[in-house]
Amino acid sequence: MLTTMAGIHCFIQGVGVISPQKTYDHGEFLPAVTHHDSHALTCIPPDFKQYFSPMQLRRLGRMPRMVLAAAAICLDNARVSTVDAIITATGYGAQEDMAKFLDEMLYQDETLLPPTYFMQSGYNAMAGLLAMNLKCTGYNSNFVSRGFAFETALQDVVMHLGEKETDRVLLGAFDDVSPQQYGEYIRMGYFKKEKIDHLSLFESKTAGTLQGEGVALFILSAVKTPESLCRIRDFRMLYRPADYGALSRELNDFLSKNDLTPNDVDVFINGISGDADRDQWNLSLRRDRFAHAAEVRFKHLTGEYATASSFALWLGAEILKKQTIPQAVLATPIPTGCPLGTALVCNHFLGRNYSFFLLTSR
Amino acid sequence: MQTIEELTEQLKLQIIECLHLEEVYEDLDVDMPLFGEETGLDSIDALEVVVLLEKNYGIKIEDAKVARKILYNVRTIAAHVEANRVK
Amino acid sequence: MNSRVFITGYGVITAIGNDGAENLASLFNQRCGFGKLDILETVHRDTLPACEIKKHDHELCALAGVSEGAGFTRTALLGLIAVHEAVCSAALSPEDIRHAGLISATTTGGIREFEKRFGDVQDLDKNVASPAFLDTADPGEHAERLADALGIRNYIGTVSTACSSSANAIMTGARLIRHGLLDRMICGGTDALSRLTLNGFYSLLILDKEHCRPFDENRGGLNLGEGAAYLVLESETALARSGKKARAELRGYANLNEAFHQTAPSPEGTGALRTMREALKRGGLAPEAVEYVNAHGTGTESNDLSEGTALQSLFGQRVPPFSSTKPYTGHTMAAAGSIEAVFCLMALEHGVIFPNINFRKPMKELNIRPVTELKRGVVLTHILSNSFGFGGGTASLLFSKC
Repeated sequence: MLTTMAGIHCFIQGVGVISPQKTYDHGEFLPAVTHHDSHALTCIPPDFKQYFSPMQLRRLGRMPRMVLAAAAICLDNARVSTVDAIITATGYGAQEDMAKFLDEMLYQDETLLPPTYFMQSGYNAMAGLLAMNLKCTGYNSNFVSRGFAFETALQDVVMHLGEKETDRVLLGAFDDVSPQQYGEYIRMGYFKKEKIDHLSLFESKTAGTLQGEGVALFILSAVKTPESLCRIRDFRMLYRPADYGALSRELNDFLSKNDLTPNDVDVFINGISGDADRDQWNLSLRRDRFAHAAEVRFKHLTGEYATASSFALWLGAEILKKQTIPQAVLATPIPTGCPLGTALVCNHFLGRNYSFFLLTSR
Repeated sequence: MQTIEELTEQLKLQIIECLHLEEVYEDLDVDMPLFGEETGLDSIDALEVVVLLEKNYGIKIEDAKVARKILYNVRTIAAHVEANRVK
Repeated sequence: MNSRVFITGYGVITAIGNDGAENLASLFNQRCGFGKLDILETVHRDTLPACEIKKHDHELCALAGVSEGAGFTRTALLGLIAVHEAVCSAALSPEDIRHAGLISATTTGGIREFEKRFGDVQDLDKNVASPAFLDTADPGEHAERLADALGIRNYIGTVSTACSSSANAIMTGARLIRHGLLDRMICGGTDALSRLTLNGFYSLLILDKEHCRPFDENRGGLNLGEGAAYLVLESETALARSGKKARAELRGYANLNEAFHQTAPSPEGTGALRTMREALKRGGLAPEAVEYVNAHGTGTESNDLSEGTALQSLFGQRVPPFSSTKPYTGHTMAAAGSIEAVFCLMALEHGVIFPNINFRKPMKELNIRPVTELKRGVVLTHILSNSFGFGGGTASLLFSKC
């Protein structure tokens, strides 16, 4: 029930995304789909040697490499070389690095412990690395609010832009897969027990989703530039909605506060996760209110993770900038030639954290 | 019995492996200060070498100030290892 | 963006007391929580002392009013105890609480419990002990528990910026109020001791096996601690509506990054200096107005040099009385910022400066020395509180009497 934007303008100036699809190359927009034969969808990285010297690479684990590379891609996309503030978001941190430390700690019975793994397992290690890499001595924060990590981080960005209108803020979201999380989520009923082809995720009739991961970096500012992909007009978080009616009313309120009705939405980006139980409300929203809009789905390509809404934001931004929707994510088309001016993201994380994002091309 | 030269060479290779320097330096000068601007290695790298010394030679260093003196260069490390090794 | 932000209540639990009153008594009596580890199961039990809360988890469950077996991690339990005290102390009604937001910071979350099942959980054929703790390791989990217990839904956030975490939580909460997004915020942090933290810090060679000695020439590192603390922040409007008297005002704050090294501050203290300066600038105060600084003062070689140098650079010849209260509580990680904020509020309320225990010999690099005796009857109006963390984060909070 929180109105987030309070009259502050927020434009996406640049993006850098590394995901289980080939998304780091700005020359292409999901032209082909990479198929994963695994219960966990893992990132396709760029060639790291393009971004790091051997000296830098030697001590960087997988997640730090991806975050720093995505940041370089993002800055290049925005045609800038510096940022004024850095805010990161993660649900579970760089799980692989923490696991390496815990593994050594338990295996060695708490002796002979490598400090590098400990350092890189800190939840704000990426925020610190980005600051050092980009020599950014401005505001630096990190949000770990589970399914709202990205949203609360974005909230902080927006507040910062309201306080320092000329600033450029780097917002980064990351989460990785881990076998421990897989084991926990299977036992909690969050992941599917049976093996399925991720490309057929939405045909599944069972509960649970698929494990995924991703890294998404954005440069945000209050000023529109020729590089701007789109405007983030507004966004909202809804924690454990009581029922479908509550969710639906909240969405109506969200749109009307922005002087919009469902009919004004051209692209509906649906954060369903292939979980037949937890997806019900999103499916109903789409059917009841957005049947007229192009529907986009993405978690069959990324899997589910706490900061997956960042991928949806990237997708919406690229769609509005390029005025095209890749086949790989298009669930329901609309007649060609219709301008794509307004995109709405409706995401949920494990049916617990719901969020809406309103993106406009102007 | 290992000579000090053999130990120095062995340590050098172990340090290169431990700090993942294989693709960075063709060789490590055993007299050059190991940590600082010349090599680009920092205090965290130094701590990794502390762990290496305990793992391979049973030498425990628990004081950062003491560590800094011992880890000046590969030669000083070798001297300390020779005098104090348990393994 | 024009609202002033006031503090109307607080709650705290540390190794020196289970609530505000007990902590205050310990501060006055110079009773420290330092000692051998009794509760955390670790091989270092006899060799690495810390400031541990001498309560087993089932005792914390009783204090928090939750049942054992409900999967509340120790971090969550400490948080719950402190947050209950905070909302009572601020005389918030259930409706007030429901409309408030919550930011709870942590560095460990439920890692302490996760360590126990880490080895087994990835094997799907194994039964894990304590299934109630499944999916409780991540840092944001405890905040949802606190929010659920309080009935908060409008804003639930978790900040994790290492040792500056809860200072940032307080700042972020203040900004949400100043932007008119929420009227009331409950902000702070919590951290329980864990083997990961203990062993991690040990691997960095910055733990002191003796009682820490901040700003002392012969200091040997930090002592770890555990605890939680929260402040209730209210907007001017909310305060006026309630008719309550505020405890203090959060007059200024700043968050910057030194971008120097992942775990160490610069010897010159550039980050600390810039941050304290900005906090004062935001509060519209000159350095001369500050009457006490609660230092981050961990007792490590690098922090105390960096911070001490920054204090001298900022205040010149007239460095105000300063002390680190970490010999009392240990370094409570994410909770340090909010626990020490509470101690600053107590200092303002009682006109007292709590001493920097264990100080004997001044650092050769500095011209200043901390306060070593308890000082009562002190006129205190403006206090600065510092928290500096791994990842280069520097945070300063400025509290003023109202």
